[in-house]
Amino acid sequence: MDKKRILIANRGEIAIRIMNACDELDLDYVVVYTAQDSASLHVKKAIEEKGPEAVYRISNYKDPNEIFSVADHCGADAIHPGYGFFSENFRFARRAALRNRPLTFIGPRWEVIRDLGSKINTKRIAKQLGIPVIPGSDEPLYSEIEAEVLAEKLFFQQKEQGVDKPSILVKASAGGGGMGIEEVNHLDTFRQIYRRIQNYAKRQFGDEGVLIEQCMRDYHHLEVQLLCSQHEEIVHFSTRNCTIQSTGRQKRIEVAPGFDPKTIDYPFDAAKVLDLMVDYSIQLAKEVKYDNVGTWEWIVTRDGKPYLLEVNTRIQVENEISARISRISKHDAPVNLIREQIRSAFGEKLGFKQKHISFAGTSIELRIVAEDVKRGFAPWCGKITTFSFPEKPWVRLYSHVPQDEPYEIPTEYDPNLALAIIWGMNTEQAKERAREFISKTVIRGEDSRGKPIITNLEYLKDRLDDVLKF
Amino acid sequence: MDINLNDLLRQFKSHPYEDHHIDAPHTGVVSFKVKEGQEVKGPSGQWLHKPGTLLYILEREKNPKRITSSFSGTVANLRTQLEGTFVHAGERLLTVQHKLNRDEIIDRILRKVLFIFRAPQRARYFFTPEAISFLEKDTDKGLSVAPGDEIIIMSLMKRDTFLPYEGPPGIIYKVYFQQGDLVEQEAPLFGLCPPGKLPFVQKVIQRIRTEWDD
Repeated sequence: MDKKRILIANRGEIAIRIMNACDELDLDYVVVYTAQDSASLHVKKAIEEKGPEAVYRISNYKDPNEIFSVADHCGADAIHPGYGFFSENFRFARRAALRNRPLTFIGPRWEVIRDLGSKINTKRIAKQLGIPVIPGSDEPLYSEIEAEVLAEKLFFQQKEQGVDKPSILVKASAGGGGMGIEEVNHLDTFRQIYRRIQNYAKRQFGDEGVLIEQCMRDYHHLEVQLLCSQHEEIVHFSTRNCTIQSTGRQKRIEVAPGFDPKTIDYPFDAAKVLDLMVDYSIQLAKEVKYDNVGTWEWIVTRDGKPYLLEVNTRIQVENEISARISRISKHDAPVNLIREQIRSAFGEKLGFKQKHISFAGTSIELRIVAEDVKRGFAPWCGKITTFSFPEKPWVRLYSHVPQDEPYEIPTEYDPNLALAIIWGMNTEQAKERAREFISKTVIRGEDSRGKPIITNLEYLKDRLDDVLKF
Repeated sequence: MDINLNDLLRQFKSHPYEDHHIDAPHTGVVSFKVKEGQEVKGPSGQWLHKPGTLLYILEREKNPKRITSSFSGTVANLRTQLEGTFVHAGERLLTVQHKLNRDEIIDRILRKVLFIFRAPQRARYFFTPEAISFLEKDTDKGLSVAPGDEIIIMSLMKRDTFLPYEGPPGIIYKVYFQQGDLVEQEAPLFGLCPPGKLPFVQKVIQRIRTEWDD
């Protein structure tokens, strides 16, 4: 690969992980940041490694003109969008590809993002292929009356099926990452919640379209990690379980693989369900000629039925737990899915096949967040004064929070502080190590009124008992 | 309301200026259109539809953006060394030293007279749809607010929180933000006048109108 320059159009820990992948591939990079992020480690690291000319202050991570203008000024060949922001914006990817000075968008080609970026369209394609999806609307709803008719139908269907406490979910159609979703337990409260989500969607995404679907109560949230190339190669890196989430459906603990039938009893054939999900995911990837990393999100109900939720056409926060349990027999270096993603975007062949990938152990990701879990996971704002973690060979930590100076959490973004990726030879060992990691982690700080920092560390510790169990 | 109006007016009369720092709103190549010490004008016309003096052009992605002055005043601290260069967002480019007019003096003094409801966090703020529909109506009544009323939505870290009003009951007299603005912590959101104090506020305004000469 030629020495190419990548513009990293993201912030925080993902920017740092992309820098690491660039280093592994001997690629040059530049980073962007906003005034609020000037103390972030991603900025500090870029200055230390590449010099002050490798960092650009922009007005907003979500302004495409800022990104393209910096890309041209620094002579970038490609843009890595990370996750969030532009990562699933097909218009941005299309603009990168079709502008006078084309740039490689590190992700799938824009047509794929367009087709799978919409949950509704994904549902439609999946249905055509006979892949199971959750009952509900297959287009955004703008009419309250239409929405209420569908809601009534979904409640009726659940009663017919003998569902104990029927409910539906109202989602912002343009939303993602668990934001803009509320549950309706009774038809009487539907209109109120529908209007709230509609207003939220309009404010946050500029599109008041709303989706409605049956709420599956007793289920696990699973993912299939795929890596595809522009040469129609498809491999999977097993599955993940992301069931432990905040009340706002934000993931907090993720585990790979998605189930552990060797040590945990399931009310269904878990190994068979995992295989089925992988097969369905590959079937859909082939159909749309998927050509980069992607995550197929599923829910699995207690009766062992998988339903496809959506496809995330980007690298996921939790990608590394899949990498940690994987080995590629032809490679010496540990698996790095961001590295593979970049290679794939530049048109390289994978250089390995499914038979070369093996899996070992269990990996757990802990998302350490400044939030008050007792108050509905309310975000905490303030200054961090102490931030230290144990160094162990079985843990990798990614954070944009400096450990050598106080750090004010920016209020513009989620108060995510760090990701800890822990590996164990089996699930029990991984859980034990995660507990040890949490107990030796020290985070101190205070808010503007002098009250001490609140984090989710205790919550994470408590929830470790539940991982992978139905 | 314990304020010394004479002292305040004296302070403003001795230094009736405010510095408005002009920073690049985004990245781009800057081309200045004013000189150090030049007098510039703010927007004018019945609806402020005529833009102020052109300060500089910022070109990004082949789109030139004309940045005009939002205030009348004198250009100072012009960073001519940046002419023709690519600047980062937030780069300080110049300062406009603005002389406050009578209405602005009234506004500054009212901030000391009214009960100011401030932003508890640096966040984006919105009035609730019910409040905004009331405020948009052309009515003399004004929006009455009582403690505990949820008329403001704080959008922080991508989460919307209804903010209960804390303070004396009264009528919203002045709003200091636009829907969806990013407001700094402790910056004013709105000024509220308790009903019994309305005559005092009107007296303050009347006095400034009489005594302040633009």
